[in-house]
Amino acid sequence: MKEIEISAKTIEEAVHRALEHFGVDHDQVEIVILKKGKSGILGFGSEEVRIKARLLTEMQPKADVAKVAQEVLENLLKLMGVSAEVEASKGEVPVLLNIKGDDSGILIGRRGQTLACLQYVVRLVVSEKLKAWLPLTVDVAEYKKKRQGALRSLALRLAERVKASRRPITLEPMLADERRIVHLALVNHPDVTTQSTGEGDQRKVIILLRKR
Amino acid sequence: MKELIEYIAKSIVTTPEGVKVTEEAGERGLVVLRLEVAPEDKGRVIGRQGRVAEAMRTLLRVAATKEGTRVRLEIM
Repeated sequence: MKEIEISAKTIEEAVHRALEHFGVDHDQVEIVILKKGKSGILGFGSEEVRIKARLLTEMQPKADVAKVAQEVLENLLKLMGVSAEVEASKGEVPVLLNIKGDDSGILIGRRGQTLACLQYVVRLVVSEKLKAWLPLTVDVAEYKKKRQGALRSLALRLAERVKASRRPITLEPMLADERRIVHLALVNHPDVTTQSTGEGDQRKVIILLRKR
Repeated sequence: MKELIEYIAKSIVTTPEGVKVTEEAGERGLVVLRLEVAPEDKGRVIGRQGRVAEAMRTLLRVAATKEGTRVRLEIM
C-alpha cells in the first residue's frame, strides 16, 4: 500500500502535492486529514495542515495490459491518419508505449500537450476495457525519457542557484507529469524544497530554500 | 475524423448504441463534427473540467492537420 503524509498551508495545496507525488487523478487517492491547521493572526500562531494520501489501486501489471494498450494506441493513430509503429514494454510497471514514425512533432505538440492528451485518452479507453485503473505511459520517439533527464538536471542546477542566492526560483508552466519529475528530483535535497502555484495550464513549480 | 471520435466515444460510454457522430461542411473548409450520446453518458465524454472533450479536440486537431483541413467538435 502506497501512502504519503504531507504538510502544507492549505488542504488544497496538500492534496495537489499528493496527486503530483503519485502522478494520478483525484479519484485514485484517498485523502485523510490528520491535522486541520490554523490560519493564525497575521501569520502568528499559524499551523500547517497535515494530510495522509493513500493510493487506492495497487499497481499490478497484468499480462494483457500491454497488448490491449498497444491495440488501442494503434487504432487511435490509424484513425488520426498517422502512420507510426508502436512498441510496448513487457512486464514493466507502468506499461510503456513508445511511438516511432515520421509524425513525432505533431504528436508531441506544444510543451508535450498533444502527447499528454493522447496518453490520457489511451488510459481512459484501456481502463474502460479492462475495468480497472492502470498506469501507463505513452511516449513519442523517447521524448519523455529525454525530457525527464533534462528536467532532472535543470532542477538540480536551479537548486544550487537557489541555495547560493537564497532566493526562490519559479519555473515555467509545466504539465503535471513534468512538475512531478521536478518535485521528485528535489524531494531529498538538503537545502531546497519545492511547491506548485497557479491554476490549470499555468501551474508551475517554485524551488525555495528549505526552512531550518 | 468522424471515425476517430466515434471510436473514442464508444469506448468510454456506458451505452455505445447511443453514440452518434454527424459530419457537416462549414465555411472555408471547416468541418463541423457533432457528437451525440445518451443523456447519462454526457458527463463521460466531457469529463471533469472538460478534460475528455479537450483531449478529443486535441487529437482531432492532429487528424485535421494530416488531412489539411480544420475541424470543430460540438458535443450536443
